Amino acid sequence: MAEELVLDIKDLVVRYDTDAGSVKAVNGINLKLRRKRSIGLVGETGAGKTTTALAILNLVPEPAGVIKNGSILVDGKNILAMSESELQKTRGKGVSMIFQDPMTALNPVFTVGEQIAESIRIHEGVSEKEAMRRAVEMLEIVGIAANRVNDYPHQLSGGMKQRVVIAIALACRAKLLIADEPTTALDVTIQAQVLELIRSYREKYDTAMLLITHDLGIVAESCDEVAVMYAGNIVEYGTLEDVFNQTKHPYTEGLFNSLPNIIERRSKLTPIPGMVPDPTELPEGCVFAERCAYATDECGKTVQADQWLSDTHMVRCSRYCEPDFNIIRRIKT
Amino acid sequence: MHRYVFKRILLLIPIMLAVSFVVYFIVDLAPGDDIDAIYGNELTAEQKDELREELGYNDPLVIRYARYMGKLLTGDMGTSSFYHEPVMKLYFSKFPATLNLAFWGIIVALLIAIPLGIIAAVHQNTLIDSASMILGLLGMSMPNFWFGLMLIILFSLTLGWLPSFGNESWTSVILPAVTVGVGQAALLIRTTRSSMLEVIRQDYLRTVRAKGVNERTVIYHHALRNALIPIITAAGTQLGIALGGSVVVESVFAWPGVGKLTIDAFNTRDTTLVVGCLILTTAFSSILMMLIDIIYAFVDPRIKARYMN
Amino acid sequence: MKKRSKKQSGGKGFWGEVAKEFKKNKGAIIGLIIFGIIIFAAIAAMFILDYKTQITKLNLSEALRPVSSKHIFGTDQFGRDIFLRILYGAHYSLLIGVCAVVISTLIGSILGILAGYFGGITETLIMRLMDIISPIPSVLLAICIASAFGQSLYSLMLAVGVISVPSFARVARAGVMTVRDQEYIEAAKSQGASEFQIIVEHVIPNSLPPILVQATMRVASAIISASSLSFLGLGVPAPQPEWGGMLSEGRNFLGTNTNMTLFPGIAIMITVLCINLIGDGVRDAMDPRLKR
Repeated sequence: MAEELVLDIKDLVVRYDTDAGSVKAVNGINLKLRRKRSIGLVGETGAGKTTTALAILNLVPEPAGVIKNGSILVDGKNILAMSESELQKTRGKGVSMIFQDPMTALNPVFTVGEQIAESIRIHEGVSEKEAMRRAVEMLEIVGIAANRVNDYPHQLSGGMKQRVVIAIALACRAKLLIADEPTTALDVTIQAQVLELIRSYREKYDTAMLLITHDLGIVAESCDEVAVMYAGNIVEYGTLEDVFNQTKHPYTEGLFNSLPNIIERRSKLTPIPGMVPDPTELPEGCVFAERCAYATDECGKTVQADQWLSDTHMVRCSRYCEPDFNIIRRIKT
Repeated sequence: MHRYVFKRILLLIPIMLAVSFVVYFIVDLAPGDDIDAIYGNELTAEQKDELREELGYNDPLVIRYARYMGKLLTGDMGTSSFYHEPVMKLYFSKFPATLNLAFWGIIVALLIAIPLGIIAAVHQNTLIDSASMILGLLGMSMPNFWFGLMLIILFSLTLGWLPSFGNESWTSVILPAVTVGVGQAALLIRTTRSSMLEVIRQDYLRTVRAKGVNERTVIYHHALRNALIPIITAAGTQLGIALGGSVVVESVFAWPGVGKLTIDAFNTRDTTLVVGCLILTTAFSSILMMLIDIIYAFVDPRIKARYMN
Repeated sequence: MKKRSKKQSGGKGFWGEVAKEFKKNKGAIIGLIIFGIIIFAAIAAMFILDYKTQITKLNLSEALRPVSSKHIFGTDQFGRDIFLRILYGAHYSLLIGVCAVVISTLIGSILGILAGYFGGITETLIMRLMDIISPIPSVLLAICIASAFGQSLYSLMLAVGVISVPSFARVARAGVMTVRDQEYIEAAKSQGASEFQIIVEHVIPNSLPPILVQATMRVASAIISASSLSFLGLGVPAPQPEWGGMLSEGRNFLGTNTNMTLFPGIAIMITVLCINLIGDGVRDAMDPRLKR
């Protein structure tokens, strides 16, 4: 089993030291991902999803961002202990990433062909010409005509830019693909195409994927496992079945209940009350206690431990086994 | 693209006309003219006035200017009263030396400023950043003719390594070029730093790093290429100023360029030469600024696209 | 954006904020302190030192002395004490720097504000005029003006001032254009305020910060420009101890009396450095977006 692990994050802690204080972005998360599998990392903006992704590439923006603790094994090797040259070999080849905002993710002064060819040239040791030929191939795979290869980013539409960003990430057939909100910037019609594109490519090359999103629908569609993140903690973790149908954490419940219900259109949306805690001053005990309908006084004082319900299902909530605790899932997915 | 270049060149003509008029007007304000310069004490004041009347010096400014421009169109900018040679010929005999100095000056400036500016930006708020900012500030605060004199004291008079004046051998250009270059570098360090800081935080560099590109390439290939436009503008402006003859530096090093020619013309009240020098110098720096605008298009595809349409 | 709303809600808030930011900048504070000392010394020198006996009086028996306890910066070719001359000469540089900038700020800002506020033909005329002046190399333009008006302190101020008029006009115009179409200007108009009133009460205060930043920086370059002109022999006439002029005299003694060029140059450098430090501080404080 262990050798099949593509990604193994242990106790990852990331802080951003700013003038306003130390932002506790990621607070001791654990995450495992096996070959071919995909995991959805879900949570609100600011939950620490992108920071986690950047940590996997060891690209947490310096000097503010500091990885305080933990290890990130990619294919058995610790990213955080790698030398700069080892890191460069891993980035793009071992792990590649699709970035969130296609409008700013491409260098405006190089052609899209050059930008795709660059990673091929670095990792595959091929000639400039060969790299360009393969870049054209990649463009076609993501559905852009070969004659756009010499276009600059500003000549492409947002959707096309996102495809180019995807082409860059897929170019070297990395073992692990991190997709950070790959479809947020796109029209709904194109979203499905893009997801399908990623899926078929993963099937072909046995790529594992960490998908970051706040869209539970996308998770249901493309992931095997789900990790729900809140204020830098993974509060619930399990297979799609575990988390979607056996929801155990009140925050996960809140996420589902704040979705619009297509079947019962007249039902009201139920937003989670309150606000995400200030990441510079996280509460002492459970990070969700302030907003939690089930919280007791105890919850606010004690740090929650990971509770394993089964081999696959984890919840970070001490109340899940108590008799009066009963998650209400209003929507069936 | 061709149309754009053509349009820019056409636009230069009215500007040059206006500039030449302003120059003509200002020089005209100054007391003394070339009749004084040529005949000095040979003629009495009455005789000189007669001569002025005869040569049309007392005509209204606009008429004299029109006459001057008419001649200029045939390539005649008059004759220097001091050197007794055509202004055009004089100017262009001195121009290569100025070009030479301007070229080496900006090379020195870029060699100092770009690496320092980049290092400062990459290591923002560290010792090396403060050090290069202080260096830049010192360079900006120092009159460059004084810096030139200090270089002469050290390298010519004390160490005897380098010539301190004239343009006799290839070593002659070193001290003046360093003087010009250091002054320009001071400004360019700041431009480079702030422009790099702007670029360094852009998301697309993260994409590049995520591809596994080494940090050197990230900075010098991807970031610098984007940061280049403000740097080119600043460097171009500096070069434009230097092309006009770094008057003061040329004077310090007795460098036989157009700057020195101009200042000598002032001192000898050689009005025809002064007007000619100013018009030609301004024309050159305007043409240079135009060229820089065109160079942008090749650095930044976004600007190129705008011109194409 | 935050900045603007503060400014509108009451002048004090903005300036208080600026002062607070400025105080955080160590370099600027050091610059300000030393500059204060320089100003104090310059003023004191004018009262304490006697121009006839201590500054310009020839004393050939003491000529070209090196640095000593009697003459801490040595003496020049006429036996005049260089330290005292530098001290006394401080006010020329400061006066020229400040007056030149006042001239260019006034002319430039008025032109820029008119251009930016009225737009149309006024704007075209003014800005084209600036386009015509700015390609003329500034030192040469200054030389033209200085020689047109004769060799004096005032023509030097004017010459140095005129060369930075175009950049003030541009900065002022840009500042005005950002406030020109704001709603509160419309509101003032609808309440019957005259154009003049609007400009004075709304437009000028709001376009002031960038002009002030520019002005501080320009004092520094004006001092250097002025000393360059003096160095070329177009500045303050000879016996008066202007720093650039002193440097120019020292040129003839480069090999033997380094002190004659060294010290006036250092005096210029320190003064200009202080102003640049203050300028940087003012800029960073006024526009936090520029601060990195």
